[in-house]
Amino acid sequence: MIRPLLWLLAGVVLGGVIHIVVILTLPQLAEQSVWRRVAHLDADNQMVILPPVQAGEPNPLGLDPELAYGLCRVDLADGPAYVSGLLPDAFWSVALFDPSGIVTYSTTNRDGIGQTLELGIFNAAQTRLLAQQQIDIAEGLLVVESSSNELLVLVRLAPPHQAMRGRFEQELSEVECGTRS
Amino acid sequence: MRFVLYLLMMIAVALGIGFGLSYYALTDGRLFGVAQVGPWHAWPDVGANAPNPYTRGHLARTAAFELGQSEGLQFTATVDSSGLPLSRECSYRIVGNTPLATFWTLVALDEAGVNIAAPDVHPAVRSSRIVRAQDGSIIVNVGKTLQPLNWLEIVGEGPFKLVLTLYDTAAFSGFSSDASMPAIIRGDCA
Repeated sequence: MIRPLLWLLAGVVLGGVIHIVVILTLPQLAEQSVWRRVAHLDADNQMVILPPVQAGEPNPLGLDPELAYGLCRVDLADGPAYVSGLLPDAFWSVALFDPSGIVTYSTTNRDGIGQTLELGIFNAAQTRLLAQQQIDIAEGLLVVESSSNELLVLVRLAPPHQAMRGRFEQELSEVECGTRS
Repeated sequence: MRFVLYLLMMIAVALGIGFGLSYYALTDGRLFGVAQVGPWHAWPDVGANAPNPYTRGHLARTAAFELGQSEGLQFTATVDSSGLPLSRECSYRIVGNTPLATFWTLVALDEAGVNIAAPDVHPAVRSSRIVRAQDGSIIVNVGKTLQPLNWLEIVGEGPFKLVLTLYDTAAFSGFSSDASMPAIIRGDCA
């Protein structure tokens, strides 16, 4: 009687090991990532407006139909990246995604930055240069240190009414984004 | 002979538990990583810069632009308040209060994440566009047949899910104990 129970217990323990291995390796094995899903967009060092979500159409990026989205891809190996512009007076937020789709930094305009978006993104080496005052930055720049060189910058902007969407998207597309060496 | 039988049994149990548990844990995070309020569930860790392994698995499965921790939090409901799965055959009423947020949006999606709102209406309900009761609570009706007050008209057949996205919210941030979510009450079914 004891022997089958021991075999069963061994099966349960082995199952637990498989479970842990599956959970830990899943992110590496996944074929789709948010990074690959936007790879076809020409968003290198420029703000691209993502198409609005329509009812009945697939929405693989999980976007909200109420919001306007601006996306920009930067590589800090080319130098520190800057995102700067004036956004309309409405709720907006910025998120930085690393290649595995993890949000490494996010902020909203309620954090005292109002309508002006001035963001500087630096990797560890550039942050060190910044601390040694070897990189000149404008006053009031929001400094973000990133552990990953490749980043997606996603700006979410919420027009209060859909009638304003066109103007809001226009203003969002005028936001400058890119690396400066 | 018996040894082989036991070995096969052990392997079957191990595979069943290993993959079954992984699927179960990531389907809606019933085991780890999810905050559950009534019928609504959210992954509070999804916008963190170092998510836990289960949230990482969930991120890999959805491969979508998630909200950062300071941007907001997204709640999903696949069942109503009595635990029955949401079906497009029925009409539902979402009643109650939402946690403090700058604004929120509510959408109805099918299992593949496609918005199922009727083609000629707004694909989302937004907090600033709805009528409210005197005490500020909300009533949003969801269904295929004409409903009074705020109506999110949907189309099609089969199961669906409701996604409530709170922008700039204090819920589950550790700064607010306000985690009241509205109830989803099932109405008439066709």
